[in-house]
Amino acid sequence: MTEAIRKLFAVMPFLFGIGFIAPLTAQLMAYWGVDAPFGMSRIAFGLLFGGAWGLYANIKGRWL
Amino acid sequence: MTDGPVKEDSLVEAEMLVEAEVIERNSIEVPGIIPAEDGPVIGLAGDDTLDKHLRREMMKEERAIAMQFHGGATWVYAALTVTCFAIWVSLFPLAILGYLGPVGLTLGFLFSTFCAAYGFIPSHEAMHSNIYPRGHKLYWVNELTGHLSTIPIALGFGVARLTHMEHHKYTNDPQLDPDYTDGAPNWWQAILKTWWNRQPGVEGSVHRYKKMMVDMNTPASRKAAMQTTILQLVMLGTFFGMAWSGYAIEVAVLWWLPRQVGLSWIRYWLSWAPHHPQERGRYKNTKIFRARLGYWASMAMEYHLIHHLYPGIPNHRQKEAYHAMKDVLRRQGVDVSAH
Repeated sequence: MTEAIRKLFAVMPFLFGIGFIAPLTAQLMAYWGVDAPFGMSRIAFGLLFGGAWGLYANIKGRWL
Repeated sequence: MTDGPVKEDSLVEAEMLVEAEVIERNSIEVPGIIPAEDGPVIGLAGDDTLDKHLRREMMKEERAIAMQFHGGATWVYAALTVTCFAIWVSLFPLAILGYLGPVGLTLGFLFSTFCAAYGFIPSHEAMHSNIYPRGHKLYWVNELTGHLSTIPIALGFGVARLTHMEHHKYTNDPQLDPDYTDGAPNWWQAILKTWWNRQPGVEGSVHRYKKMMVDMNTPASRKAAMQTTILQLVMLGTFFGMAWSGYAIEVAVLWWLPRQVGLSWIRYWLSWAPHHPQERGRYKNTKIFRARLGYWASMAMEYHLIHHLYPGIPNHRQKEAYHAMKDVLRRQGVDVSAH
């Protein structure tokens, strides 16, 4: 149990990217009337953006 | 309702014993000048016997004044916490049901930020059992206040309390003070540091707290760490659940962003400002300072030295206590020029 939680938190930045940043990005784009590039849906763009950012944070250990 | 509880004599004595232990741990010994049992004193070097005697008398004088400021209307901390927590929780269903428009969300953001930042004050009082002391029939109110007030920042009360006690024991010790990583050379770097310490790969802030819980490895620390883990999972579950249900902006405005601002506010005013430049010693590890933003915006931390000397004096009485103790503090070597 403890080990499972530790592993979960180890990948939390990535999960945060797809679990929170992705839908937040899509909803902010919709609120401001911004379309996603390359004909993507907003949520697909959000997943790409949030997932990549979360992965970066996971690997680098910082968000910026 | 009458004023809050004044601690029983036995509890005050126990608190003084703890304070004595803290004094000893925070002492700096300078052979031939400053004996180890007290902190450094300016202007009394030379005759050790006289110095020791005078300082003992000053300590008695200091304590006699301080004891007058223990207790008071501490129930207010509990009442405000329960009220604010209830309002804060109600913001989420109100947002989901569409009752909060842009203005409502803006007000909700301001209120949530206030709860996240200023909620630390009642939790801090609860950490020291100042709202109702251990053994009091209403001690559970003290504990409830502590647990509720740290939920907006997703820090378990047990972790907050255990690490805060370590902070008192080892103030400004690079290895043992949980808050030492908040150190920074100036105010703007201190603000940046509050953000930096929260980064996933940096051992500061709550990451350092969690590590200290593992290092302590006691039943209390294990329980406290688990409470924080559960609290953080609930917070993240709320973030993810609301975000994927179409309420990402709402949860960002009502919890995520207020938590970020609140944590930085807390770290800056409670950890960096009163302890900068992180010297050691009973009268040196915390300072009396004048905040540019004023008494209320600085969460009354201008008088944080009083809290370190006498943790049983509640936050709202520290200013008054300081002015009563100012003369003896000056003789103890404290820089009292700010107020």
